[in-house]
Amino acid sequence: MADTKSGSGRHSAAGGSGNTVLSPLGQGPANLECKDFQEYLRTRQTPESLEKLYNYPPICLAVFRELPEIARQFIIRILFVDQPVPQAVVTSWGAQRCAKEQAEATSCLTALNVWRVTAIPGGLSAWELSPTFKKSVRQVLLGGGKPWPMTNTLDKDSKPRDIAFLDTYAMSRWRCVLHYMVGTGNRSGTDAEAISPDAVRILLHANLMKRDERDGITITRQGFQFLLLDTRAQVWHFMLQYLDTCEERGISLPECLSMLFQLTQFSTLGRDYSSEGMNNQMLTFLQHLREFGLVFQRKRKEGRFYPTRLALNVTSKEAAATASVAMDEEATQDCGYIVVETNYRVYAYTDSPLQVAVLGLFTELLYRFPNLVVGVLTRDSVRQALRGGITAEQIVSYLEQYAHPNMRMVESAIHSKSCLPPTVVDQIKLWELERNRFTYTEGVLYNQFLSHTDFVTLRDYAQSIHMLVWQNERTRTMVVQKNGHDDVKRYWKKYSKSGV
Amino acid sequence: MVNVMKGVLVECDPAMKQFLLHLDEKLALGRKFIIQDLDENHLFISTDIVEVLQARVDDLMDRISFPLHDKDA
Repeated sequence: MADTKSGSGRHSAAGGSGNTVLSPLGQGPANLECKDFQEYLRTRQTPESLEKLYNYPPICLAVFRELPEIARQFIIRILFVDQPVPQAVVTSWGAQRCAKEQAEATSCLTALNVWRVTAIPGGLSAWELSPTFKKSVRQVLLGGGKPWPMTNTLDKDSKPRDIAFLDTYAMSRWRCVLHYMVGTGNRSGTDAEAISPDAVRILLHANLMKRDERDGITITRQGFQFLLLDTRAQVWHFMLQYLDTCEERGISLPECLSMLFQLTQFSTLGRDYSSEGMNNQMLTFLQHLREFGLVFQRKRKEGRFYPTRLALNVTSKEAAATASVAMDEEATQDCGYIVVETNYRVYAYTDSPLQVAVLGLFTELLYRFPNLVVGVLTRDSVRQALRGGITAEQIVSYLEQYAHPNMRMVESAIHSKSCLPPTVVDQIKLWELERNRFTYTEGVLYNQFLSHTDFVTLRDYAQSIHMLVWQNERTRTMVVQKNGHDDVKRYWKKYSKSGV
Repeated sequence: MVNVMKGVLVECDPAMKQFLLHLDEKLALGRKFIIQDLDENHLFISTDIVEVLQARVDDLMDRISFPLHDKDA
């Protein structure tokens, strides 16, 4: 299995065109970012697009629910006040000792464009709720407006699906995506395993996979980190990336988000909902959700669907805890199947092709039995992973996370926190260090200064703008970061003119 | 008057630096690539050589490493 990936990362090694540090691993953004919903809105949306989103009551309600408690309090208090409220008044609502929390709530509301500053007569500044947001939240609380989609009543399903069925269905669909990422999906070739071009596009867009001339589509560093996330975080990250690309696909982002929230926050597991009244775009979106296992639908055309556990609560922060409890069954099944011995052998008690494939990313697999895989960590296999952008830390933490319970019982002569044999952990880290014996910094060298003062002046300037990388006073030589060169050059010209 | 040169600053341990000096001297990469020898841990080299150099160093490390385990054990 390791063979399929062989050499995939070779092109990228040392190919970093980054401005400052050319690390041997220099490719792409370093780590996978996993934002929560608020952060997503704050960073990816402009005030104008936020305003558009606030036209949808479900989005407003979701935003409202995710706000800090004090912020929610503020909104409720001024929701029915039809004029701006002086800032001083809002501040007076809280005790002095809670000033910090209050400031946080205030900045949160501002950042999300829920309210804005206006001037009122008398020269005071005041807060005013965004009219769209206000209208939508009022609608949520009091009713009215257009009926939400998904709320149409349905006849009783003749063959209702229970929660256990939905759970298995959801997980099997989601695994397909993961399988595809580690490259097991396309080889087994059955229809159930295949994923659509749309999903592939999202993976590529999300930088979880990359197209490689030689090997087709391969997993990236972020992709590996993605595999190590828990399922909820995976789904959420994936959905964020989906939302990024949905405009390109001609699906409107506000509608998508609105539906996603209805599905994730305001629906019940095990209940069926109607897709009646949805427009074509939303039906397409529903089909995508179906593909990833967020909803279950018996037939494409059937006007009835069930949200699955994957969808529920994926967007909310607090749900993280409860969801992980819900996935407990999943967890017990997943965790603790790897035994690592001091001779670098790895025994994995698993029959899941996914787990085997992940393991195959950094071990050389030797034998495969129905419920056991034996592999060995070799310098080559680990370096292969390192070249692919995976870090030693990630490998070690993966092995620790899924270490077999028996591994924790072994008493080690060396006192260490990790349950893995220290030799193996050290060696994996050494293999990584070995690749990093050089640090490269692109820069510009200045030398042959005529006078000591010239050198010192320029050096001190470079230091003051944090662009100095190396200097030696005796030889009057200094190295400045590449992107600092223009600044330093300009300074030097000014200096030498004024000096003469 | 100041002399300005573009390139890449390499930071490494003295042993690796000696290896680079050796490569430079023997023209092992086809040409000289060290612009200036700065101190025992630093060299200033030309930008376009970095990729080749990295591959060369990987080669060296491959040659001086030995398999730690026995697969058929």
